[in-house]
Amino acid sequence: MRRILLLRGAELIVFAFLATVPLLVVNPYALGLLTLLAIYGILLIGLDVTVGYLGQVNLGHVAFLGLGAYAAGLVVTRFGLGMVPALLAATVVGLLLGALLALPALRLEGPQFALATLSFAALSTTALNELESLTGGAQGLSLVRPPVFGHALTPSLFYWLCMVLLALVWMVMRNLLSSQWGRAFEALRDSPIATDAMGVGTYYHKVAAFSLGSGLGGLAGGLYAFNFQYLQPQSFVYELMIILLLGVVLGGRKSLWGAFVGATVVVLLPNLLSNRLLFHIFSGAGFAVALAAGLRGLAKKSTRPFQALAPVVAMGLLAIGGFFVENTEDWRKGIFALMLFSVVVGLPEGLMGFLAIFLAKLFRVPPSPLPEPSDLDSVLPPRAQGDGPLLVLADLKRHFGGVKAVDGLSMQVRAGTIHGLIGPNGSGKSTVVNVISGLYTATSGGMSLRGSELPQGSLNRVARAGVARTFQNLQLFSELTALENVMVALKGVYKMPLPLVLLGFARLEERRAQADALALLDLIGLKDQARAKAKDLTYGAQRFLEIARALARRPDLLILDEPAAGLAHPDVLQQIEIIRRVHARGVTIILIEHHMDVVSELCDQVTVLDGGKVIAEGAPDEVKRHPKVIEAYLGTASGSGPSGGVEPLPA
Amino acid sequence: MNPSIIGQMAVSGALMGLVYALIAYGFQLTYATSKSINFGQGELVMVSAFFSLTLTNLGLPYWLMVPGGLLFGALMGLAIERAGIRLALEQKSEGWILLSIIMGLFLFSAAENIWGRDDRPFPTPISADPIRVLGVDITRLELSVAVGVFAIMGLIELFKRRTLLGKAFEAVSADRDAAELMGISATRTVMLSYALSGAVAALAGILVSPITTVGPTMASALILKAFSVAVVAGLDSGFGVVLIGMALGALESLASFYLGSGWREAPGLSLLILALAVRPTGVFGKAVIRKV
Repeated sequence: MRRILLLRGAELIVFAFLATVPLLVVNPYALGLLTLLAIYGILLIGLDVTVGYLGQVNLGHVAFLGLGAYAAGLVVTRFGLGMVPALLAATVVGLLLGALLALPALRLEGPQFALATLSFAALSTTALNELESLTGGAQGLSLVRPPVFGHALTPSLFYWLCMVLLALVWMVMRNLLSSQWGRAFEALRDSPIATDAMGVGTYYHKVAAFSLGSGLGGLAGGLYAFNFQYLQPQSFVYELMIILLLGVVLGGRKSLWGAFVGATVVVLLPNLLSNRLLFHIFSGAGFAVALAAGLRGLAKKSTRPFQALAPVVAMGLLAIGGFFVENTEDWRKGIFALMLFSVVVGLPEGLMGFLAIFLAKLFRVPPSPLPEPSDLDSVLPPRAQGDGPLLVLADLKRHFGGVKAVDGLSMQVRAGTIHGLIGPNGSGKSTVVNVISGLYTATSGGMSLRGSELPQGSLNRVARAGVARTFQNLQLFSELTALENVMVALKGVYKMPLPLVLLGFARLEERRAQADALALLDLIGLKDQARAKAKDLTYGAQRFLEIARALARRPDLLILDEPAAGLAHPDVLQQIEIIRRVHARGVTIILIEHHMDVVSELCDQVTVLDGGKVIAEGAPDEVKRHPKVIEAYLGTASGSGPSGGVEPLPA
Repeated sequence: MNPSIIGQMAVSGALMGLVYALIAYGFQLTYATSKSINFGQGELVMVSAFFSLTLTNLGLPYWLMVPGGLLFGALMGLAIERAGIRLALEQKSEGWILLSIIMGLFLFSAAENIWGRDDRPFPTPISADPIRVLGVDITRLELSVAVGVFAIMGLIELFKRRTLLGKAFEAVSADRDAAELMGISATRTVMLSYALSGAVAALAGILVSPITTVGPTMASALILKAFSVAVVAGLDSGFGVVLIGMALGALESLASFYLGSGWREAPGLSLLILALAVRPTGVFGKAVIRKV
């Protein structure tokens, strides 16, 4: 509680101070800078959604600023409408064009995504320049700030308008990012595959996030238009984009405060360049900080030499170069480059990230306590172990080019059983799992779950149909806590529609989600480590957590892909115990495993694969004695078995 | 709608497209070994062209200036790899995108201040007189572009296939970890790929400068189209970039003729976004099978 009070208190103080500025200061220049601060604040909060939360380099944000500005300008000049419709139009243009770009671009990652956004920005500059009849082309577009509700907007009033909008955007984004939406954004950055497999549509969330960020860019553009009252396509180009990125990275990613600090830097930069003394002071201070931090990092061996020294060299170049250069304005791009380089290399968490660690040490406020775990019966209701087949695979095939990884597999998994799927390496087990769970589309054949056709080729849709899985190579959301990992996947808890989430009503669901997730953590024995980040858990605990996360889907069918792989013996025993507990609640399980003792202990029925085909089926003990199985694992006496020479069957 | 004019536009456009292809080929070289590309490659093209111009002004003959320019490009490529790429790759982050943009920005600023902001002509001994081939006028200058592009791409491909070092290059491209286990230093191979990529960029600058002039912004439009070519063709097909590069060059030359020169860039950029929507791995790229 104290933590929240402190945070809210800090926000309140800053905004209250900013709101009173026009009453105290009459300097129009300072007021102009503060107005810009509010506008860039909104813009950078929007950019942070993609750069920070989605973790993608977005080079197209500046285009949305421009398109929003022109949309607002045209609404006022062409249609003679007022400021409110103009700002609405700017936001909507950002949202829609953002979605339009995101639909193709977000199927890409990393460099390709950056290129697509860069191309979009170049294309929009071309369009603004060339559609002269509409935009006035390179001549620019002049507009007059229209009155709002009959009041002419003085600079102070316009400043207040911008500040109110920034405060609103701030609150709305905080509500969104602290809800399931924000968790989903972070989860899909860590593992898009697992996010899909947990029934949280990766693509949908990415497009929504990008579109939202672009909408904020559009809104900032609208305000930009009314602030400068003159627009030119040349204002919205690559150089401004670099400055915006500098703002987000320097301020600190994934942080509203970071965006605010970044906006301050962006606004002050031109002054820094025009005032020589200011420049010397700041570059000297930057050099001193880089040097101190670099030497400390080297002494404590906490950073690599390059990471410690490169910012020192860059800031040194800046500080010393400042004395030799005739006009700093000539070198503005080089100066931005050196500053941005130092920050990206030396301070990747940004100023706020750095400050947050420092403040957390200073105040040491305990996090608000977690609720009591829910009753497990409500989170994972025990269900009747109905008879008959739950999952039926009929003549399933999956070929990769000439490789027949799965070649005509038919198999039935009865409801309420633990069904083992074993076979030597390369026998097609993992491919079967990947086809069932929707990562791969089957080449041919059918799959049905409880009599109805199972969707193919979509992790997300299969997950929603009631199948949950774990991953042999762990796919946890490593930056999220154990609790949040489970919370992301919870099914049937988050019902609040987006508008209400934006208004902050998601908080009502959060307690319930925490309690439910805790109950599942309790089931696997990790309740005490709920707040530990997934990447900091022991290897065994990470494997258990994968199961808890899958259970949050309340699955009818749970697929465990080698849950004991790489575990030490005590952990294997605990894993067996966990699987027993899960099974006791009536969840049907497919178990892929190499440890024969685990299989014998747990499975009711075992299917053995080799070369993509079933070679034996039955109770564990029968299967172990089956001659074909022995041959597949050990090879025949002559060594001519179908996959002779594979690993021996562990007893 | 004179067919001979269309033919003329298409051919000179396609020859220009070879320059995009060459720069895009530079992206492929580094992408193969390190899954990274230099976002400041355009600035590399530009400073190498400026450096070569300085060499020419110092009185160096053409045949000495070209290797000098290539060497400069290779050294710049190495510098970018060391300062901008390596750390991010070690941390398995995508910081290299931002860092290589930043290094490009710095080169741009440096070029503005060292060589000035104006566009300057680039003297060359190759004549600009047209010769008539199959009813289309082609200048020797344009032909020199084609010769240069195919020569360096051919040399590098030969190097990759025929020499031990080249095979190490291919090995790291195919499987970095396995190559390391066989005693091939992946770090050195990535350095090699950046040096080659830098040399390729320098050659692109030297070839295109006599046609366009040299200036700080000479490569900003060029590089966008090279990006388009690389992504549309896919980041692993040398043959693909040549084909797509020539097609794009022809297309935009026709677009600027029929739509107005301001729309020159539009076809490439729209093509890029479209191609990404339909086939994210590129027309000639291999589809990647996701594994978990």
